[in-house]
Amino acid sequence: MKQHDLKEPHYTPDATESTSQSSDVIPGPGYPAIELVGVSYGYGKDLPVIDDISLSIPQGQWVTLVGANGCGKSTLVKLMNALLSKGEGSIMVKGKELQSDTIGDIRKAIGMVFQNPDNQFIGATVEEDIVFGLEGQCLSIEVMEERVNSYAEKLGITELLDKHPSELSGGQKQRVAIASILSMEPEIVIFDEASSMLDERTRNDLLNILSDMHKSGRYTIISITHDAQEIAASERVLVLHEGKLIADRTPTDLFQDEKILEMSHLIAPFAFQLTTALHRYGVDISIPNCEKELTEALWPLHSIK
Amino acid sequence: MAITFNQVSYEYDANSMWSQAALQGVNLHLESGILAGVAGATGSGKSTLLQMFNGILKPTSGTVQVLDITLKGGEKAPKLHQLRKRVGLVFQFPEQQLFEDTVEKDLCFGPINFGYSLEEAKDRARRAMEQMGLDLSLLSRNPFQLSGGQMRKVAIASVLTMDPEILVLDEPTATLDPVSRAELIQLLHRLCREDGRTVIIVTHRMDELLPFANQWIVLHEGLTVFQGTVKALIEQADRMESYGITIPQSIRYWRSLSEKFGWSEEDPCLSAEAMSKRIAHLVNSEDV
Amino acid sequence: MSEKLLIGRTIDTGSWVHSIDPRAKMVAMMLYVVIIILSNTWLEMAYVILFSLIIISLTRIHIKYFIRAAKPLWVLMLFIFIVQCIKVDDKNGAILLSIGSWNLYFEGFKLGLFSVLRMVFLVSFTAILTFTTTPGRLNQGLEGVLKPLKVVRVSPDRFTLMVSIALRFIPSILEEAQIILKAQASRGADLRELPWKEKGKMLVSLLVPVTVGAFRRAEDLVHSMESRGFRLGEPRTKYHRLVWRKRDTIFICFFIVMLVAMVWMSGYGTGELWTL
Repeated sequence: MKQHDLKEPHYTPDATESTSQSSDVIPGPGYPAIELVGVSYGYGKDLPVIDDISLSIPQGQWVTLVGANGCGKSTLVKLMNALLSKGEGSIMVKGKELQSDTIGDIRKAIGMVFQNPDNQFIGATVEEDIVFGLEGQCLSIEVMEERVNSYAEKLGITELLDKHPSELSGGQKQRVAIASILSMEPEIVIFDEASSMLDERTRNDLLNILSDMHKSGRYTIISITHDAQEIAASERVLVLHEGKLIADRTPTDLFQDEKILEMSHLIAPFAFQLTTALHRYGVDISIPNCEKELTEALWPLHSIK
Repeated sequence: MAITFNQVSYEYDANSMWSQAALQGVNLHLESGILAGVAGATGSGKSTLLQMFNGILKPTSGTVQVLDITLKGGEKAPKLHQLRKRVGLVFQFPEQQLFEDTVEKDLCFGPINFGYSLEEAKDRARRAMEQMGLDLSLLSRNPFQLSGGQMRKVAIASVLTMDPEILVLDEPTATLDPVSRAELIQLLHRLCREDGRTVIIVTHRMDELLPFANQWIVLHEGLTVFQGTVKALIEQADRMESYGITIPQSIRYWRSLSEKFGWSEEDPCLSAEAMSKRIAHLVNSEDV
Repeated sequence: MSEKLLIGRTIDTGSWVHSIDPRAKMVAMMLYVVIIILSNTWLEMAYVILFSLIIISLTRIHIKYFIRAAKPLWVLMLFIFIVQCIKVDDKNGAILLSIGSWNLYFEGFKLGLFSVLRMVFLVSFTAILTFTTTPGRLNQGLEGVLKPLKVVRVSPDRFTLMVSIALRFIPSILEEAQIILKAQASRGADLRELPWKEKGKMLVSLLVPVTVGAFRRAEDLVHSMESRGFRLGEPRTKYHRLVWRKRDTIFICFFIVMLVAMVWMSGYGTGELWTL
């Protein structure tokens, strides 16, 4: 029941590393990292979980996938790295078609962080958990050591390397999961409701990690979440409803569309709710970024009169 | 007074080498019929506190008084059967604790344990379903075939069947989507407002409970560092940050507005609707 | 989170024993079992106790932890003691206590005490293995010790993967079971207050949610492992490689010397006074 995880350093992208890597590994921004064409999946013809979805996600983009529980979000991302065996349609990852002989390569390109912090912890210690994926890539001991140390440092878990999962809080376990995934150096990272079991403070930490990852330019991020702040921070929102892709827009557009919000069981951030309500009362202001902007916008309205 | 804690401490494994203090000298007073929110960072002792409300955990030292039952640290506890009936405790992820093959049987488990006839138990099951806004046709279903949100509600209903005077819930909305979360909180609020039950909710999303809670308790490292109304909480918001609590957006906006426009004496408007109404009033009243 | 199990807990004092190769420790523990079995006289037992205490002191772990390790088995020990007491029917021996027609002979009492002593040392001493070795290293050691099994087509890495996952998740599952018990107590079925017959029923009803929970965990874990590229039987490198050093050989030699001494003593006999 001890608390360790409050004020940990954030993940800091290593600028030099990212530029040197991006030139030879990543084919450049805009290149599609993932392309789905007519993908369907279901238990029999009558019960499609995923219904004819086509989409393309360019390299380096931060995409949020939203929708009510049971709409097929989790199924969709699990199809991308063949955790669920493929239904109809074609899935291309980094220009490679997902087939039984490419599963290995595709899983190497896609890292996945799951919802439950405890259940995805494989090793008996933090270090062993990070190493689990690296051993599978048959890396040499020297490279593994280097990766363990550098990614543990980036995620601020260096002090925890010897700890058993039972000694860690949920937020710390989620950090370990991210370190384990990033150390395998995937180009696409999928977060499957990774923040939903965390408390508010650690959820903010996770959001900072995601932002830094995005800024580094090395990762294509696909995140499933209900968290308004996290959605707002991303570049693009895909809305799923009953297995169909019903909207593809920017977060700002999404938060102003009450119909889509309702269909996807989302609630807009407080600033959006407030501005929408203010409109109804005839007070027209643009959406404030913080509380200061609101008072500053209101001040003239109040004092001119 | 529904619940009074006087200098309550609790240690896990109190007699072993690994004893760990989870609560250290908690003082608490909760009136009947209120809706109270309990906040605090992970490891602050929230879950331990909840389990003392119905005697699942007994104080290592200090006095816990719930309704008319008193538990004293170091003394042998009285029979707790009655206390358990009057204080319903819902653990985190209650749907993971369902075990019968139909919803109805699961709902009847509690009442039958407390000596009600099967008829009476079934009657209570139906009432609890209605209170949780669930369709009665689900009664014959297998609980494991329900959707996540439905399972959560069934699990809460399984405690409601005991018709407890005090209902205690550990993060009832965790992992639900925002709309289901808001809906669940409203149901719980109704149990407080319409049935006069005392409802105590542990949450790490203060915002969803803000418009409803009469009282807030903030725990930090096993101590109650705050107990009071929302208004008092807003005044001390800066202090809350140091306890690992994120101040909800609505409080931030209200604080900033009330400082600028001198509303600090007013009752806080924390929903978007109420706040914009107040703002509209500010802008329009000076139209003249 | 309460009532933590003592078995399987590492107590890190950074001693010499901690740094010993887990394979060496496992072999040493097996030798110790043989040593205990061979010790048949009080003199031999005295040597074993002396030897055990020396090794225990080398771990720099407080003796009370070792005593605690044996504590959960007290019922079994009591049982063994009583059986030994009853079993001995020595018509000529000294009688310690007689209840009705049954006599407790001094011989039986001695034998009972001896058996319990053996058991206490067996359990307490072998706790060194878990006290001084992290689960991860323990598992690597196990893999090493099991290597000979490859000959009979049993794959040690599969086996150790299984063991490590079990070790990893058993505490979580136990904790979950405890929460379910508490939740059921909250619904009026407190295991502590129920009659025995009901207790059995309760434990059976516990099986459903615990099993469902275990399957959920297993599914999550499989997804997590697969998405990190794990495929059974695929080649993997090893991050931690166990390196056999001189100290490991020395450690085992202690036990071999002790074993030889035991065999020698039991072969020659050590005088009437000391035999049982």
